[in-house]
Amino acid sequence: MHTELAEFPFLSAILTSCLVGLLVIMVLPGHRTREIKWVSAGFSGVTLILSVYLFAAYDQDLGGFQFVERMAWIPRLGISYYNGADGFSLPMLLLTGIVFFTGVLTMWELEHRVKEFFALVFLLVTGVFGMFMALDLFFIFVWFDVSLFPMYLLIAVWGSTRKEYAAMKLTLYLLAGSALILPAIVYLVVQAGMGTFDLVALSAEGTFGPGVQKFAFLLLYIGFGILAGVWPFHTWSPVGHVAAPTAVSMIHAGVLMKIGAFGVLRVGMFLCPEGWQFWAPLMALLATVGIVYGAFVGLSQTDLKYCIGYSSVSHMGIVGLGLATMTVDGINGAVFQMFAHGVMTALFFSSVGYIYDRTHTKIIAELGGLGRVMPVAATYFIIAALTGIGVPCLASFWAELLVFISSFKVYPVYGILAVSGLVVSALFMLRVVQRTCYGPKNEKFAHLMDVSFTLGIPRMILVSVIVLFGLFPSLMLDVIRTATIPFLHRLP
Amino acid sequence: MNWMIFSPEICCLVTALVFLFLAMAPTDARRDYIVAVALTGLAVCISLAGLYAAGELFHGTYRVDLFSQVFKSLLLMGFFLVVFISSGLSGIEHRYHPEYYMLLSICTLAMMMLVSAVHILTLYVALELSSYSLYILVFLRKGRDQGVASGMKFFLIGASASATMLLGLALLYGATNAAYFRVMVEVVPGVIHQPEVILGLALALSGFLFKMAVFPFHFWAPDVYEGAAHQVAAYISTASKVAVIAVLLRLVALSGGESTHLVHFLAVLAILSMTVGNLTAIAQKDLKRLLAFSSIAHAGYVLVGILCISPEGNVSAMFYAVTVLLLKFTCFLVVIQTAFDGENIDIDRLAGLHRRSPVMALALMTALFGLAGIPPTIGFTGKLLIFVAAMEKGYFALVLIAMFNVVISLYYYLLVVRAAYLLDPPEGAGPLPAMPGAKILAGTLVAAIVVLGIYPTPLIELIRVAAMALG
Repeated sequence: MHTELAEFPFLSAILTSCLVGLLVIMVLPGHRTREIKWVSAGFSGVTLILSVYLFAAYDQDLGGFQFVERMAWIPRLGISYYNGADGFSLPMLLLTGIVFFTGVLTMWELEHRVKEFFALVFLLVTGVFGMFMALDLFFIFVWFDVSLFPMYLLIAVWGSTRKEYAAMKLTLYLLAGSALILPAIVYLVVQAGMGTFDLVALSAEGTFGPGVQKFAFLLLYIGFGILAGVWPFHTWSPVGHVAAPTAVSMIHAGVLMKIGAFGVLRVGMFLCPEGWQFWAPLMALLATVGIVYGAFVGLSQTDLKYCIGYSSVSHMGIVGLGLATMTVDGINGAVFQMFAHGVMTALFFSSVGYIYDRTHTKIIAELGGLGRVMPVAATYFIIAALTGIGVPCLASFWAELLVFISSFKVYPVYGILAVSGLVVSALFMLRVVQRTCYGPKNEKFAHLMDVSFTLGIPRMILVSVIVLFGLFPSLMLDVIRTATIPFLHRLP
Repeated sequence: MNWMIFSPEICCLVTALVFLFLAMAPTDARRDYIVAVALTGLAVCISLAGLYAAGELFHGTYRVDLFSQVFKSLLLMGFFLVVFISSGLSGIEHRYHPEYYMLLSICTLAMMMLVSAVHILTLYVALELSSYSLYILVFLRKGRDQGVASGMKFFLIGASASATMLLGLALLYGATNAAYFRVMVEVVPGVIHQPEVILGLALALSGFLFKMAVFPFHFWAPDVYEGAAHQVAAYISTASKVAVIAVLLRLVALSGGESTHLVHFLAVLAILSMTVGNLTAIAQKDLKRLLAFSSIAHAGYVLVGILCISPEGNVSAMFYAVTVLLLKFTCFLVVIQTAFDGENIDIDRLAGLHRRSPVMALALMTALFGLAGIPPTIGFTGKLLIFVAAMEKGYFALVLIAMFNVVISLYYYLLVVRAAYLLDPPEGAGPLPAMPGAKILAGTLVAAIVVLGIYPTPLIELIRVAAMALG
């Protein structure tokens, strides 16, 4: 095994800044909350800068895996520390950087067990970053699990609304997913007989027979799909979103669910392309059911966070539908949707979190007229809702457009159903906006402060990202395309 | 005869003798503790220095090789750690402390002989010696009733297990006419399809499956864990498990992997053991009982590695011995710290641990996540090795069942984490009274659990070479 290092190991630098941040937080005394918050903001800012740099510095003409770092780790088992970024992972790394930084800023007002909170968030995000950059199946699984288990405490300690139930349900569901993933990974490694966990080497053509691929892909799809909120394994997700504290909801819906979809793409589709082609109709069916189901259930919710939770199920269905189309546009759209949905939900939960912190209610009927009480907060909320609907000039518009166009070609019936599901979801989003932000002013909340400039910074960042990629979608699509086209070319 | 290679055992014997004399001197718990820590520390150093010793003793009935020496070092480390946390030994009356240390030394000595025994008789004698010292150790628990009841149960079940094992060994001897393992390993695979051989091997194994607390030989475990003093329970769940894994590896290797019946027998026991252990653990209120049932489940995971009868399987089982030692010991460290009065503790008594002692809470959480097999802990690496070994043999279903058991186990581990991190401490509960060195020990253990989980390469390499000595 040769050691290979990029000139400067940017990917490891991201992980290192997360880990160093974690260590610094651990050694700071618990009552120095101000310092802890500044340290968190500082180190998460570093990861954001690094991920933006990577996104910009990626050589699109060259394509493939860049910034590769590699060294032997457990030679006996063929495990290596192997990182690299391509057109699929760069958008995810960028997304993680953005959501992490804005999530930390959103929790600036936290007072309860601050040290532990930020330490756990840093641990979680280390796992997320690691998962997006790892190219070794061992590390993919390790990072995957590292990003899951802090969720239990994050929700159970700092959450609200049936938090312990939600935390337990979420942890067990997601770990049940990993109970399918680990056997599948070990099965594939042993079947290949190459004595390596190297994802790139294993994804070479002809490594696995069709039967092995079909079997393993199903396990991987369900295992990672649970985390991606694939219907009917989604039930942990709305409950978890509702119970989690704001920043955790942001990271969770914004980034963590993407890990699931990314896992299906990176591990499932890369290693078992024939299995993917075989199961694609099933993926499309479940995704469409998810889109329609999420929209209709969202329509009947009375709790603001439940609404967003179900809209997430619906939007993640679009990702699944895109992946199932097996076309360049479909996959481009799916990856773009992962990014767009991540930023959008982060904004959503961030603004709902602000409203909840002030009004202490998430029940839609008790709110109303917020547009007059706190116009700025309401504006952020409305922008998020419009992004969710897929209004042009905002990032998700392009993503959804690409997915729907390609799904009309491949699965016309599902395509029509999905678009009609989207209409329903538009209806419920608008209803939510109408009932919370417009209507008569609720006197109870008249004294509440609007979002101050400093507290608004994270929301402004998120809005500008949504608008930027909405106006210039090619910034994102050009990067994703460098990975999609070679990937589909390899298919038999 | 080269007595140098016998020095770790001699050191243990000397420790036992020292305490035999100290038992006659006036009671002084502090003195006993210091002497014990010094002597066991010395034993660990001696065993580490003699790690690469090799040779045979007592007419070839006793083999010293890297396999046995690695296990002896592990045993002595377990012994040392248990002695180290005995400074506040409140579960046993002060006047019995010298006996406690003496019996622990004898038991460790017997277990060291167990891992070196390559003859049916040495094996049996060593096993009985270790069992009898353990029976008495369980009896020593203060507040008589509990200790006596569980000690009695332990003794009765243990005695019948020994009898069964003796019958099995006799059958094996009758069929093969061999008492040396090195002869048996050549003869047994040829005659493994005869019913009395397979029965003999299964019965001989059951004596050790009993010590390992594998279903259906597990009934003693919860009562003994609950009834024994915390330190004794810690010893049973760490050091004694390590020794048993070594012997099981040796015995199962006798079949040469020729018998599918034996593999099926062990596979069924492994599945039942993890399932029963995990499902029963969910209902437990007492932390030590919960740990006992989790031990039963872990015995199932280890069996999966053992029944592969392949070099990878042996390495995985040996690695898992280290895993169990580290993780279970960390749990018991927290138990002892939290229940400083030596009483049994309910899970609820952990309430507010995160505020009363953040280090202990962190150690407990790391150890529990390790037991649940979540990366980046050594528990995950141990399970991964076992799964890879089993998968190479084509036991896919076994791996899947084990993984689902991991999910079940996570539920009750999380309940403990919940008590430690979510519940508020009871009114007026101050910081935990810390034992000297406990915080440093906890920190070291956490570091070891994580570092060996992320970077196990050196340990795996050492164990791989040791496993080759197995034959």
